[in-house]
Amino acid sequence: MGEALKYSIMDSVRSVVFKESENLEGSCTKIEGYDFNKGVNYAELIKSMVSTGFQASNLGDAIAIVNQMLDWRLSHELPTEDCSEEERDVAYRESVTCKIFLGFTSNLVSSGVRDTVRYLVQHRMVDVVVTTAGGIEEDLIKCLAPTYKGDFSLPGASLRSKGLNRIGNLLVPNDNYCKFENWIIPVFDQMYEEQINEKVLWTPSKVIARLGKEINDETSYLYWAYKNRIPVFCPGLTDGSLGDMLYFHSFKKGDPDNPDLNPGLVIDIVGDIRAMNGEAVHAGLRKTGMIILGGGLPKHHVCNANMMRNGADFAVFINTAQEFDGSDSGARPDEAVSWGKIRGGAKTVKVHCDATIAFPILVAETFAAKSKEFSQIRCQV
Amino acid sequence: MSDEEHHFESKADAGASKTYPQQAGTIRKGGHIVIKNRPCKVVEVSTSKTGKHGHAKCHFVAIDIFTGKKLEDIVPSSHNCDVPHVNRTDYQLIDISEDGFVSLLTENGNTKDDLRLPTDDTLLAQVKDGFAEGKDLVLSVMSAMGEEQICGIKDIGPK
Repeated sequence: MGEALKYSIMDSVRSVVFKESENLEGSCTKIEGYDFNKGVNYAELIKSMVSTGFQASNLGDAIAIVNQMLDWRLSHELPTEDCSEEERDVAYRESVTCKIFLGFTSNLVSSGVRDTVRYLVQHRMVDVVVTTAGGIEEDLIKCLAPTYKGDFSLPGASLRSKGLNRIGNLLVPNDNYCKFENWIIPVFDQMYEEQINEKVLWTPSKVIARLGKEINDETSYLYWAYKNRIPVFCPGLTDGSLGDMLYFHSFKKGDPDNPDLNPGLVIDIVGDIRAMNGEAVHAGLRKTGMIILGGGLPKHHVCNANMMRNGADFAVFINTAQEFDGSDSGARPDEAVSWGKIRGGAKTVKVHCDATIAFPILVAETFAAKSKEFSQIRCQV
Repeated sequence: MSDEEHHFESKADAGASKTYPQQAGTIRKGGHIVIKNRPCKVVEVSTSKTGKHGHAKCHFVAIDIFTGKKLEDIVPSSHNCDVPHVNRTDYQLIDISEDGFVSLLTENGNTKDDLRLPTDDTLLAQVKDGFAEGKDLVLSVMSAMGEEQICGIKDIGPK
């Protein structure tokens, strides 16, 4: 081997190994954690998350995106060429805010996240809520009897013999469901009478609003949703204890051989898909933002409705689902971009974290921190 | 029609309750139950313990004893169900009238003329053919909740 050849090999190897780096100074956040020498300062600790890395950074990003949702006003955008006089009005443009869709799974209502949701709904901080059947009934049941802390490792057979149901490390006694049955069956009877006598066509969201009215309890987020006229959508209303109750009720009131004469209590899901998609379609000049805790139906239902307006402008997902099985639950926001459920230029983040940890922190740094602004601005809309 | 005759036609249990209450959890297959105000015979019972669906429940599948229609009900097992008083009485067949009514001989020697021929085809054929052949026939009449129906036939004549 000649000297020259040897030299050129060394040169090419060196150029690969010691490739000159791009300068990141100024363009990227420097990674550093919280310094406890500054004492225990929770506000600073949470602010340090975005520079900590991994999911702490994602949570920091989520906080930033939610604050962008809350701060956005139509006045930040230039009026379009063809917009009307009214739309050009500065005060009007200042009053148009981002429409926020909040979706969460039922386990979170079993957990204490329910109280965070209740806070948001109580102060009209979100515009549309989507959940599953458990997300409805667990809220109502908690007004009748409490859920207790147990342990993930409690054996199922022994819990069954004691009449205790486990949700992760939470326990719900069977007796809670008996109380729920005693409470809800007369409400169904009343709703059935209204269907027959007043020709009310119930939809899941109408049923939910009614239940929120009937529970009449300030600890319930459904009560506040009813009071503040925030729609709560639940296309899977029958998939839970509520469905069990509707099943039993159908024996009491319905006649399968005479469905025309006596259909039993009818709940129309088509009415609700119209209303839910309408929430997105008729958002008008408002931007839309999605905050989705967990996966499954609530995640898809919120995204799907936003597809009707060519995608949401902001999206924050908080869940621990993985994408390798192709599930929608595990899909990152970019998958929803491909379907047109999130806009290409939207601000998005997925926080891979249990929402019971991430969501209260997120709310503390966003909605709750801006509670004064909400009482001023949002209530006028 | 005299008052006396009218008196005889009234049923023995007139004024008595047509049903009695029984706890749902104690009603067994083969027993009777009222579903949607119809007297039924229970053909299937399944129970579920107290759980996420609330109180323990009994699921009944039952057949209307007069119409044969299948009915279903679900009742909390601690609740009371209405159970019909079901009676069977045998009467000797005297005559079949052209309008489809039968004339029966009661125990005290009177006639009972308010029952129609059975609707069940097999039973109807047995009654008609047997009567035409001049057999001595005894008809079983089932009664519950103010309704009566011919439900069985026996030939008591000499072979």
